[in-house]
Amino acid sequence: MEKTIYKADQNVGKIIIVFAAFCAVALPFVVFSAFSYEPKEKKPALIETQRLDFDSNGIAIFKNYAGLSMEYMEGTSTGRTLSKYYARRQYPGSPPEIPHPVDVHGIKLECLACHADGGWTQTLKRMTPATPHAEQVSCMQCHVRPVTDTLFKVTDWQSVPPPRLGRSYLPGSPPPIPHDLQMRGNCIACHVGPGTVVTIRVEHASRGNCRQCHVPDPYAESFQRE
Amino acid sequence: MDISKRSFIKFAAMQSAVTAASVLFPGIGFGAWEKMDQPSGRIEWKKTPCRFCGTGCGLLVGVTGGRAVAVKGDPNCSVNKGLACVKGYHSIQVLYGGDRIKKALVRKNGKLVEVPIKEALDLVAAKMKETIESHGKDAVAIYGSGQWSIPDGYAASKLFKGCIGTNNVEANARLCMASAVTGFLTSFGLDEPMGCYDDIDHADVFITWGNNMAEMHPVLFSRMLANRKSKGHVKIIDFATRTTRSSQASDKSILFRPQTDLAVANAICYEIIRNKWVNWEFINKHVSFHKGKTNIGYGTEDHFKFKDKAEIVDFEQFEAFLEDYTPEKAEKISGVSAMDIKFMASLYGDPDKKVTSFWCMGTNQHTRGTWINNLIYNIHLLVGKISTPGNSPFSLTGQPSACGTVREVGTLTHKLPHGVVMKEGARKMAAEIWQVPVENIDPKPTYHTIEMFRALDRGDIRFMWVQVTNPMVTLPKLKRYRNGVKKEDRFMVVSEIYPTPTYDVADVVLPSALWIEREGFFGNSERRTQHNDQIVPTPGDTMCNTWQLIEVSRRLGFKKQFPWSRETYIEDIWNEYIRFHDTPKHRMAPYKELRARSGVQWPYVNGMETKWRFNSKYDPAAKPTAPGDGFDFYGKPDHKAWIWLRPYEPAAESPDSEYPFWLNTGRVLEHWHTGSMTRRIPILHRAVPESYVEINAVDAAALGITNGTKVKIVSRRGSIVMKASINGRGRPPKGMLFVPFFDENYLINEVTLDAFCPISKQPDYKKCAVKLERV
Repeated sequence: MEKTIYKADQNVGKIIIVFAAFCAVALPFVVFSAFSYEPKEKKPALIETQRLDFDSNGIAIFKNYAGLSMEYMEGTSTGRTLSKYYARRQYPGSPPEIPHPVDVHGIKLECLACHADGGWTQTLKRMTPATPHAEQVSCMQCHVRPVTDTLFKVTDWQSVPPPRLGRSYLPGSPPPIPHDLQMRGNCIACHVGPGTVVTIRVEHASRGNCRQCHVPDPYAESFQRE
Repeated sequence: MDISKRSFIKFAAMQSAVTAASVLFPGIGFGAWEKMDQPSGRIEWKKTPCRFCGTGCGLLVGVTGGRAVAVKGDPNCSVNKGLACVKGYHSIQVLYGGDRIKKALVRKNGKLVEVPIKEALDLVAAKMKETIESHGKDAVAIYGSGQWSIPDGYAASKLFKGCIGTNNVEANARLCMASAVTGFLTSFGLDEPMGCYDDIDHADVFITWGNNMAEMHPVLFSRMLANRKSKGHVKIIDFATRTTRSSQASDKSILFRPQTDLAVANAICYEIIRNKWVNWEFINKHVSFHKGKTNIGYGTEDHFKFKDKAEIVDFEQFEAFLEDYTPEKAEKISGVSAMDIKFMASLYGDPDKKVTSFWCMGTNQHTRGTWINNLIYNIHLLVGKISTPGNSPFSLTGQPSACGTVREVGTLTHKLPHGVVMKEGARKMAAEIWQVPVENIDPKPTYHTIEMFRALDRGDIRFMWVQVTNPMVTLPKLKRYRNGVKKEDRFMVVSEIYPTPTYDVADVVLPSALWIEREGFFGNSERRTQHNDQIVPTPGDTMCNTWQLIEVSRRLGFKKQFPWSRETYIEDIWNEYIRFHDTPKHRMAPYKELRARSGVQWPYVNGMETKWRFNSKYDPAAKPTAPGDGFDFYGKPDHKAWIWLRPYEPAAESPDSEYPFWLNTGRVLEHWHTGSMTRRIPILHRAVPESYVEINAVDAAALGITNGTKVKIVSRRGSIVMKASINGRGRPPKGMLFVPFFDENYLINEVTLDAFCPISKQPDYKKCAVKLERV
């Protein structure tokens, strides 16, 4: 009798030991995965880097769109504002300056490691905006890092206001594209995703054929029949 | 209600953007923002070539309310296909510096005071007349630049060479591409590259000779990278004296000791012959061999004279000459391993690879600049890789119109728009087109740039007019020439847009219209002529350089030669100028065509551009002796390209125990030349606010120098104190310093040497000996 009870206890003990061993093995996995959890919106966005021009190579834009998760497209976390966006440019449409420290010796790949795809950057602890022209690799040819706030001489330079937002022609109609599309033809890069500026982010990211409704309107000349 | 709330938020957002922007960019006016409701609807885009380097990117400038407000790359321009660099994108800001010179100035009692421009022009003409009467016609001179628009240089040449009758016409391009010109003339008999930028899309291998294209020709560099990316097998070899951004982006970086590129180029030829990679069919039909003088000196003394003499030799003599340059012997001279030399030779030698070589100031600013240009051509000629798409020895230029204005118009002492002053035929042609007596044109060249400033110092020249350049920053061994200019009885006229060190020594300052404030033409590195219209109004009293010259010419009594009206003078000058080049070897496109297109390449024959010269498939002027021969190097009387036997000779001044470092000078991406324009562009100044000296980390550690500490650079000419940069953007090897020359507060040319290539007379800014001291 004593012996059977002892045997039953032994079995329970065995189960406990096996369970404990399992826990011991599994715990690091659980802890590790808990710490490395990344919301899907933080994952990189763009899957390919090639010449992204809607009219000559729209397929790349559509592929891009197809490769994006809904979580990314509807992501909302960002620290970027439109005023910051324009403050980094000398005029609307000029190459923005680099707002974070860079290795001045570098030229290739380093920038695109983050800016080709967007997503979360651990080193800077922020969502990276994706470049609309990742096919250009000599980034510092156009983008430079200011190291001072001073000017050599005062300047009379005057910029122009950025395009007004929401310039719909009819109440509720889709607004036309107010900026030039050269080097900025990939709508997704700047208008979709958590790294982009909230004010210019579309509210209907799931619709992929942007230019079905939004047409370029940088000149706004009225039509005249000759 | 919803709408008003929305518009309120948007208004607030814009206001905050304006406020934030004004905080972040102090000094930049944002006032216009409020006035213009929908500016993007009113922006008009107009084409122009970029104001800066010799690449010649096409830009579209956005204009609204008479002001330039935006830039984009011109997608119709084949040079850059819609891309620009940071200088190009911000180039329009150069129009709006707060200290822009808008009035004429005359020095009175030691101070420059504003005067009506008419008074200043009267004074310039009177002073010129007076100097010619008292000291002779060769006592007046004009010094221009590769930033002269084509009509500027043409009017200057016509006035000085045709009307006044002095050959005292020079341009800063002498400091920039004279060796490229003499290289072309000695090897091919005709100036400017045979190929074009299309070569970048065709080549399999790029070898850059002392050329940091990632910073100096960024748009062309990007085009190279794009080719490599799309094809996969393309290789870029950076052959240089210092590690740069270009080295990092290339597949292989090979460093050589300064000046020893001569030995390596010869060793490459040696290897090509040893491995039997010579293209014999090409050599036998299209190449002849020549030998010039050796031990040719360095020109550091006044009145230095040198004339090369070509002697015909044969292939066997060339082969014997190369015995001194086996890869092993060249390794001892250059520090480049024999294996790397063999590797480079194998790239040139591989019959299946198309090879393009690029070079610019590294080979041109070289006391043997003509020779190293010849030697690179030798390599291409030996393997027959020339004048076909992708096979191209390509000499790049640094200024927007060094080719267009200086080389094609011929604003150098020995040149005329067509031919040289020494040739009677060329003088007759010029006299006829210019409507001057042929005796007016002096058959004897006077001074090249360095000798011209020496003559000014000596007093042989008393009056000098400087347009579009800043010699008081750029001349080597600067102190001597600055002291010369400041002497009593020297009269300096400076046509400028901003105050510079050259402005500081001027007796008269004429306010110039800049770039798109006037109509004009540039000519880029690939024989492309580019027209720009006047896009924005001229500010204040500013006047186009061409018109300044016309005004003074008329005051000197040359109304007949300068009859044009203010409305059409640019077109009229173009039509007169192209009469000089009216042959299939150099025909220029008509005015109408240039206005309409984003640049047109010459020779422009039967409505077609010539992309590859000397190749009968593309060049109507090439007439091979037998059908199917393909090539005709018609620049030389023997219709052949010349291979030259050019040895290695050391630099004018090499490091020794007292001055143990090489001093190398150059540019950075953000700043262009002396920075008088780019430093007034906010973003460019903020990125690189001041000059510095790059020091190798090992040298710095040995001297106890850390990043940012002040050091003194001392040469036999002078010294300068500036901040050290260690492991910065560029990294010189042990024993070399590098200083960008854009900063007028750190005049590195006080330290440099005025030694030059005896053939081209171009000084060597890349090599002199200095020592380094902690301050």
